[in-house]
Amino acid sequence: MSILEYNGAAMIAMAGKDCVGIAADRRLGVQLQTVATDFNKVFAMGPKSYVGLAGLATDVQTLKNILEFRKNLYELKEEREMSPATLSHLLSTLLYEKRFGPYFVEPIVAGLNEKNKPFLSAMDLIGAPVQADDFVVSGTCTGNLYGMCESLYRPDLEPEELFETIAQALLSSVDRDAISGWGGVVHIITKDGVTTKELKGRQD
Amino acid sequence: MAFFGPESAIGSDILDIGSRKALTKRQRGIGVDLGVPGQFDVPNVPDPALYCRSNFASACGNADAGQEVKFAKGTTTLAFKFNGGIIVSVDSRSTMGYYIASGTVKKVIEINPFLLGTMAGGAADCSFWERNLGMECRLYELRNGRRITVAAASKLLANVMSAYRGYGLSMGTMITGWDETGPQLYYVDNDGTRLKGKYFSVGSGSMYAYGVLDNHWREDLSVEEAIDLGKRAIYHATHRDAASGGINNLYHVTADGWKYIHGIDVNDMHYEFAEEKKNAMSS
Amino acid sequence: MDTVFGVQYEGGVILAADQSNARSILLYQTNLDKVKELTSHSAMGVSGPNCDMVNFCEFVAKNIKLYELSNDIKLSTHAQANFARGELATALRKGPFQVNTLLGGFDNKVGASLYYLDYMAALQKVNYGSQGYASNFCLSIMDKEYRDDLNEADAVKIVEQCIHELHTRFLISQKNFIIKVVDKDGVRLYSQGADPADS
Repeated sequence: MSILEYNGAAMIAMAGKDCVGIAADRRLGVQLQTVATDFNKVFAMGPKSYVGLAGLATDVQTLKNILEFRKNLYELKEEREMSPATLSHLLSTLLYEKRFGPYFVEPIVAGLNEKNKPFLSAMDLIGAPVQADDFVVSGTCTGNLYGMCESLYRPDLEPEELFETIAQALLSSVDRDAISGWGGVVHIITKDGVTTKELKGRQD
Repeated sequence: MAFFGPESAIGSDILDIGSRKALTKRQRGIGVDLGVPGQFDVPNVPDPALYCRSNFASACGNADAGQEVKFAKGTTTLAFKFNGGIIVSVDSRSTMGYYIASGTVKKVIEINPFLLGTMAGGAADCSFWERNLGMECRLYELRNGRRITVAAASKLLANVMSAYRGYGLSMGTMITGWDETGPQLYYVDNDGTRLKGKYFSVGSGSMYAYGVLDNHWREDLSVEEAIDLGKRAIYHATHRDAASGGINNLYHVTADGWKYIHGIDVNDMHYEFAEEKKNAMSS
Repeated sequence: MDTVFGVQYEGGVILAADQSNARSILLYQTNLDKVKELTSHSAMGVSGPNCDMVNFCEFVAKNIKLYELSNDIKLSTHAQANFARGELATALRKGPFQVNTLLGGFDNKVGASLYYLDYMAALQKVNYGSQGYASNFCLSIMDKEYRDDLNEADAVKIVEQCIHELHTRFLISQKNFIIKVVDKDGVRLYSQGADPADS
């Protein structure tokens, strides 16, 4: 059993036309036991950037706290918002700091940059970043998620279509994974703001 | 059926399963009768059971977690007796590791119109040996001109399990039905354990199901209440146990044999029960 | 091996734990108090080795007290839970406290709240929860019986149903349970199988 599969998670970030979406499931489990179905694993790190943390729940929370703290310091020092690209680099560095005793988290970052163009990245648990133009996935059912995203993704989706695509990809993926699901949350980030929607998922 | 010696009386072949491995093995000809212990090819080593255990992980528990090939398993099944007969209620999820291999498995095996078996543990082991049990039960009927009792049927299965003890079979089953002695319920597993009881639950979600059963089961449940209890117990187990889910298949056994009652998506139940709770609160 | 329950209701939260201490095949005591008071209006039900339970609870309780004294501010239940989580997370990569806890408290602003905190330091606010092997038997009972409009008696009844289930199904004998209530009047003993002071 992998420690990354101890609590269970599934998440997607996908780019649309001048918008990005990020979604995750809501389960907190201890192996096969479902403890809660309202657990947060996607966090706002600014008005236009979000980070999704999939992996060991304790490290999800620890890393979220550290990341938020470092981002706030940056914003106080620089007197400007942190771009998603910078956020991604910061996260990568934070993870590599613990190269020999890592946080068991595989994060994804999604946001709009200064020009309101989509930014997506994903990394492994010691911070090797990968940038993508279309979508990134993470969690305990990446195989399922990749399959769904590969088939549903179209370039330049409008925000509403992007929501539908992400929601469908997430829900279908977690229905074939035992330890993720129990509902989901989708954030669609546009230059005018973020819309957040809860997904009603299967409860088994 | 494989050859059995001239000294054998009718029926002796199935009454001594597990004790004549060497004999049947020697007499094995063309075609393999897998139902009889000793007919499977086993590793040619001094202790084949040990060899199986250490080189081909058991389908029991999580022994196959590190193995590339994982067995299909993960279940909640339950059955209980009450004054109106027997209720058999199961989920339909089959997992390989954390991957959901199927969400629509039939875990109740209809052995004959009066006998039901449930599946928990290794999917292949359960379906093979319960199908085999169906054959043995039919042969018994043909030989003896009457239906086999549930006690005897479950004993046949338990005998097979004890014959293959240590070889890594994985099976937790309830054999239930109505015979001349009335409603009967037996639990049989791969250790060779065979228990008679009023209610059982088997599988990774069984503890959750017991939580509901222990608090609400009574001998004098009405048929309607019993069906509701059967489905609720499965629903609560599927909600909390990641390895259980899908559809709740429910059977009712009476003196006239078993009857399939329903196959309801447990997800629909979730919202149905949530609605019930809300209504109960506002009243 | 240990069992902890928590059920929140309108105006308070029930915390319950078994009272046994066992080692190997030997049962040492059956009158322990594993629902430790952190402040006047919060308590923590703990499952885990006695050493870790005592050390962790005292550490958290005394530091919360220290914070209150030095800053003249009371910590909310939310803040207490997050403080405990932080300490547990730091400890995880040094010498972990092997404690699975449920933290319940009452604030004037938000009312009663209950937090699930496991030894890995995963924190989650819940309406009801259970720690230990018992959770396998009892979460389904809680799922079935819990409602948003419970009162104290209803909540205690759910806990008692859970205890009854353990007595019928659980291999390990847990003779005595201690039940405490946290509400606007503070932490109060509801019932106990044996008196912790009697030793």
